[in-house]
Formats: sequence, structure tokens, C-alpha cells
Amino acid sequence: MLSRVAESLYWMARYLERAENTARLINSTTQVLLDLPRGASFGWDVLIKVAGLDALYHQHHTELDEHHIMRFLIQDERNPSAIVSCIGYARENSRTFREVLPMEFWERINALHLYIQRNAAKTTLGRTERYQVLNEIILRRQSIVGLLMGSMSHDIAYQFIKLGRNIERADMTTRILDVNSAVLLPRDSAASGPALERLWMGTLTGLSAYQMYRRHVGVHVRGREVADFLLRDPHFPRSVNHCLGEIETCLSVLPRQATCIQASRQAWRRLESTQLKEMAPVVLHEYLDQIQADLGVIHDTIARQYFHLHQNLPQPAGQTTNPSTQSQS
Amino acid sequence: MRIELRDYERNEAYDELIDAAGQPRPAARALFDYLGRIDAAELEARRQAVDAAIMAMGITFTVYSDGANIDRAWPFDLIPRVMSRREWERIEAGLKQRLTALNLFIDDLYNAQRIVKDRVFPLEVLEGSRNFREQCRGITPRFGVWAHICGTDLVRDRDGTVYVLEDNLRVPSGVSYMLENRQLMKRLFPEVFEASSILPVDDYPIQLHDTLAALSPRDTDRPVVAVLTPGIFNSAYFEHSYLAQQMGAFLVEGSDLVVQDDDCVYMKTISGLRRVDVIYRRIDDDFLDPEAFRPDSALGVPGLMRAWRAGRVGIANAPGAGVADDKVVYAFVPKIIKYYLDQDPIIPNVPSWLCMYDDQRDHVLAHLDELVVKPANESGGYGMLIGPRATASERDKFAALIRENPRNYMAQPTLTISTAPTLVNNHLAPRHLDLRPFVLQSSRLHATTGGLTRVALREGSLVVNSSQGGGSKDTWIVDTEE
Repeated sequence: MLSRVAESLYWMARYLERAENTARLINSTTQVLLDLPRGASFGWDVLIKVAGLDALYHQHHTELDEHHIMRFLIQDERNPSAIVSCIGYARENSRTFREVLPMEFWERINALHLYIQRNAAKTTLGRTERYQVLNEIILRRQSIVGLLMGSMSHDIAYQFIKLGRNIERADMTTRILDVNSAVLLPRDSAASGPALERLWMGTLTGLSAYQMYRRHVGVHVRGREVADFLLRDPHFPRSVNHCLGEIETCLSVLPRQATCIQASRQAWRRLESTQLKEMAPVVLHEYLDQIQADLGVIHDTIARQYFHLHQNLPQPAGQTTNPSTQSQS
Repeated sequence: MRIELRDYERNEAYDELIDAAGQPRPAARALFDYLGRIDAAELEARRQAVDAAIMAMGITFTVYSDGANIDRAWPFDLIPRVMSRREWERIEAGLKQRLTALNLFIDDLYNAQRIVKDRVFPLEVLEGSRNFREQCRGITPRFGVWAHICGTDLVRDRDGTVYVLEDNLRVPSGVSYMLENRQLMKRLFPEVFEASSILPVDDYPIQLHDTLAALSPRDTDRPVVAVLTPGIFNSAYFEHSYLAQQMGAFLVEGSDLVVQDDDCVYMKTISGLRRVDVIYRRIDDDFLDPEAFRPDSALGVPGLMRAWRAGRVGIANAPGAGVADDKVVYAFVPKIIKYYLDQDPIIPNVPSWLCMYDDQRDHVLAHLDELVVKPANESGGYGMLIGPRATASERDKFAALIRENPRNYMAQPTLTISTAPTLVNNHLAPRHLDLRPFVLQSSRLHATTGGLTRVALREGSLVVNSSQGGGSKDTWIVDTEE
């Protein structure tokens, strides 16, 4: 497998996962807001912050209202993490390796791209339209994942897709968890108790995790248990723990994988050993930051080992990197 | 409402499907029988299905001037261009004859230059050739073949004669559209394919693979073949990727390859370096190897020429093959065929005047309003003058260009190239077209069955290039003798 192709596959998967998770993040946040009690406040700019996009956002905008932030996250091509951009990059990347994927893959990703091109503007019409369009994106993206699972040989190319998907997914799970830290509830604890519970329920729903949480944890939705479930549950596919397991499985079939597995184990050990003693937003935020940093180390190690392996060899003059494979992390 | 043949208004050109009496030619009868049975609304529905399929399959080509919008859907007309098997077989023989002679010619130019010494081919044309590569002197590639893949443009004039318009020996493109067009047609009109004997086209990728694999310097069952593309922003990227996919070859960019001290070419893979045996390059000579050609090229592979000269890698088309892809050299091809094969050309050239000769240049300058003037080394329809359609000031500008650099220009009569019925707003209208078959040569010769029919979609236009508003049709070679 060409290093360049492996890198494109990896980024294609990351971009698609990011698009889906951004759609989930927006939909779940919108749902959560509907249930906020009187006196609670919420800043939409938290979405920009948890996505690590505040600097870029402020280059282009001063307003921090829902309308502008949604446009930026969904359809602003100046934002490389906007849903439109992610799908566009994923499609461009997949043009460079059509030969390693099932034939229908291209038709589906092309259709997803055409869908968002035609419908992105609709998301500004209202929350209902926005919910529908984003939900359709989630649906179509899941059908692409299903196609790959069901009709692509689980070969080396597949491992790079799975690596990208799981690193991005773990990262986005930590970011979605972080959103609730931005909600300020009224001090009156009689009202804030149930409200808090609904907030965390919203987070679980956004990640399609509510039913599994109820089944495996319990009916009461408590912040600490939600965080614990989304970070450390070994079986739920969007939990960081499960993603790390998947990453290690992928790495184990790649050539010369020792240093990458080391990085992955390091992240896993830290995840296991840290006890969340209190759910104060600041503490949780710092903890999530640490997980994101560990995932960044795994990414860097993979990039060094497989994508930029030959950089010490003579390169053609003026070589530039593919603009569609730029990294965010 | 039905598609009515009697409403079809032929113009003065030869029509590929309809004869002078307004009746379908024999090879097109089954098609029109079929079209006569479906109504216009049905046809329109199928046309929309084609457009949707083209969008969904992402069959695209890139237009340089489009800026951010890098790909466009491929314009496709669903009325096929039809030719009888008997006529096609004669053309096929002519194409093979032509490529055989051209390869002997190229090999001669880089070696003994007998044809120059025998004064059949003028030294001054050779000396003025921009595509002659000094770096290739003294080399004889495998089988003595330099141009392994040739796209030959054919046109038919008013009287029905088929001419070779040009030989594309550098990096001819379009074959993927030929293959995709057939896939689209089979999705759309399965009934016609059942009812008549339309020869298949889909063995091309296998033939191309075998042509390339034969160039492998290593004696191995599965040589590593790579398609070298300039990358995603190239107008033919879709095709590069398509052919790699169809052949099971690697699609590589210059930065994926490296030439080591052993003069072998390697790909950079996730498990280390892997040797490449044959490169089907889709980038021009100039950009192939910054050590040998343009030093500022970021697309190529430093040391590639060294590897090729050492016989450690096969390259198709060979560097330097473009020397015969020159509109002035073109004018000599009938003599080249005679010289090397002692045969008359099966497919004639369009009569041509070379501006390098005083008397011919005078004729050209005196008849600029009747002629088509072409620069020697451009492709894609760029830099041409179509005399009858040009303004006086455009003609004056061209006259000055010709006087300044006569070697670089040749002229031909303006042909009335043939037409075929094309679907325009639910009825059939004649549109001009050409045909680009692809011919392969290494250990043996192979030609596509038919080729890519390109059609000028604008009324009256004679320019079929996709970069200039052209579209395409499926090409049916029909066996009528059953």
C-alpha cells in the first residue's frame, strides 16, 4: 500500500467521522436547549470552543449567535472542519484511491457530497429543517460505513480507514462530552437536579448512546456515570476505551507497528488509571484535554511510521503536500 | 409523440447514420427500428436517467479555467454513432499499419536516421522539432516500440472518405469515456444490445495491461505496473484513476516514486520501498524527470530517465515518442509508411500544406480564408485558425505568425466533417463529430473496437474537444452480415 494512499484513506475516514459527529453535536445541543429550565443560560460559542475552532471563527465573525455559528459549522468552506468542507475533502481524498475501494463507495460518497451541496442552505431556514438535513447526513454516512464493513476486504486499506474513524470518533466523543460544561444552571438545586439529568440525557441521545446506557448502567442519568460510560465502557462503540481497543486491533495487523501500539497503550493506561472524583466542569475539561492530547500522540506516531516514512529520501524539488490532507490535530 | 426520422434535417455534411435519401444506413437500421418504437417522453426520461447516472458515477472531466470548480459532468449524447464491421475492419488495419510505421520511424530517428540520410524526411524538420529528445539518442526500447498507446483522430469528409486528422502519441486521453459510455448505454438500452450484434469494447483495460506488462524488465508473473498521474487537478485525472482501477495497477504521483542508486524505480509504501517494473506515465516528457528535462518540475521523478536508459523500468509511451506527434511530421506519414513498410497508406491523410516550403506557404497565405491553420505542437484544439470563420484581423495576426516561424505551421482545407443525429430538445438534429480509436503496440498490436466519438454539441460547430464544449457518444461497430 502506498504511503500516500494510506494517508488519504485515513484522512478520508477522519473527515467523514468528523462530519457525522459535528452533525450529532449540533442536533444534540439543539435538543438539550429545549429542555433548559427558566433562568439557565447557554452560549452557542461553546460548540466552536470544543471543536477547537474559536481562533478561526473570530477571524471571520464577531457575532456569537446561533445563526452565525451554525453557518460556520455547517456550510462555511473557510472552516476546514465545517460539514461541507469535511465531506468535500473526504470526496476529494477518495478520488485518489478509487481503485482500493468497492465500486459503489464512490457513488455513495459522491451522492453525499451532492446532497450537502444542494441542502446546506436549507439548514439556515429553521431548527426543524436543520435537524432533518443533519439527520440525513448522519444516515447517509452510516450507510457508507455499512458498505465498507459489508463489502470491503478487511485488508490493509481497511485498517487505515478504521484507524482514522476510531481516532476521530474518540476525539469527538470527548468534545461532545465537553459541551455541557458551558451550560450554567440556576443555583436552586431543586430545579437544577432534574435539569442536569436531562442535559446528560441529551448528550447520550446525541451519541445514540441512551438505550445502551440504560441497559448497561441504569435508568438514572448522572453526569459522572455518563462520562464514565462514554469514556471507559469497553463495549459501547463510541466510547474512548472501545475506540482505543479498535485502534490497537488495527495496528496489530500493520507492519512494524510496535511504537504505534505503545502510544495507544499509553493512552489506554492513562484512561484506566485516572479516577473522576468530581464532575466540576473545570476538572472534566482538563481530563478531556489530556485524552485529546494522548490521541494526538497516537496520530503523530502513525503519521511518522506510515505516512512520512520516506521523508529522508531525496524528494522531487518543490514538493508540496496534498491540500486536502491537511491535519487539524 | 415519437422520434420522427422525416423531421431530421441533414445539412451538407455526410451523415453517419442517415443516407442521402433520408433512410437509416444498414448498420443503423436496428437502432432506428428501436427508436421508432419508443416515444419522445420515454427517451427524455432515459436521457435524464443518463444524466443522473453520470452525476452519481462521478464521470467528470476538469476544465482548467473553471478555478475552484474542478470537475464537470461529462456531456453525453445518447444517440450512438454507428459503423459497419466491414468498414471498421479496413480502418483498424489502417491504424495498425500507421502505428507500426510510426514506431519504426521514431526508432530510426533516435538511432541510425536512415530516413533522413535517404532524404525522405528533411533534416530541417527534425532539427526544428520541439519534441525530439537528445536524451533518447542511441536507445532502442523493448520491441523497438516507442509509442505504445496511440490515439488517432479520424474524420470523414463530405464525400464519405475517412481521413486521419492527427496522431496523438504523447499522452492521448479519452479511452475511459469510451468504456463508460458503453456502460451507460447498456444500462439504458439493454433491448437494442440484445436485438443486434454490437461488438463489445470492454477488453481494453486487459489489453492495455498486457501491452504494459510486456515491457517489464523483470521476468516475473505479475510485474508491478503503475499509472503515473500529475494528480487530482489534471483534466484527465478521472481517466488515470479509472484505468489504474480497471487494470489493477497502482495509481502513483511523482512524489510516490524514488530512483535509488541501483537505477531501479521504487514506490514508497507503508512497509517500505517496492520495485516498480512498468510506468504508464500520463505526464508530458517535460515534467517526467527534473534531472533530465525541466528542473522546476514537481510532478516527475528525479532519475527516472537514468532508470529507463539502464533498462530497469519500462515507460509507456517512451520518453521522446512525441517526436512523431507533430502536425508537420504528420504531413510526412504517407511517405513514412511507404519508406518503412513499402505499402500505401490504408487511411489517407488530409491534404496538407507545409509553411516551411516557400511555394506551399505562399498558397497558404493567399488562401487563409479557406484553410485551417495549425501550429505543429499544440493539442486540444488550441492555437488553431479556422480561416472561413476568422475575422480579417485574426487572419492578419496568423499570417504574421506564419512568416515569423514557418516550420511551426501547416494548413489543411476546411473539411465538412460528418454529422450524426444528436438529441437536441427532444428531437434529432445533425451535429459534427470525429472518432478517436486507441491503438496499442508492444509485443503485439491491438486496436479498440471503434473508439471514442466526440461530438460538437453547439449547432454548426466543428470543434469536438471536451475542453471546448464537445461531448461524446457511444460508438457501435455493428455486424450486419449474419
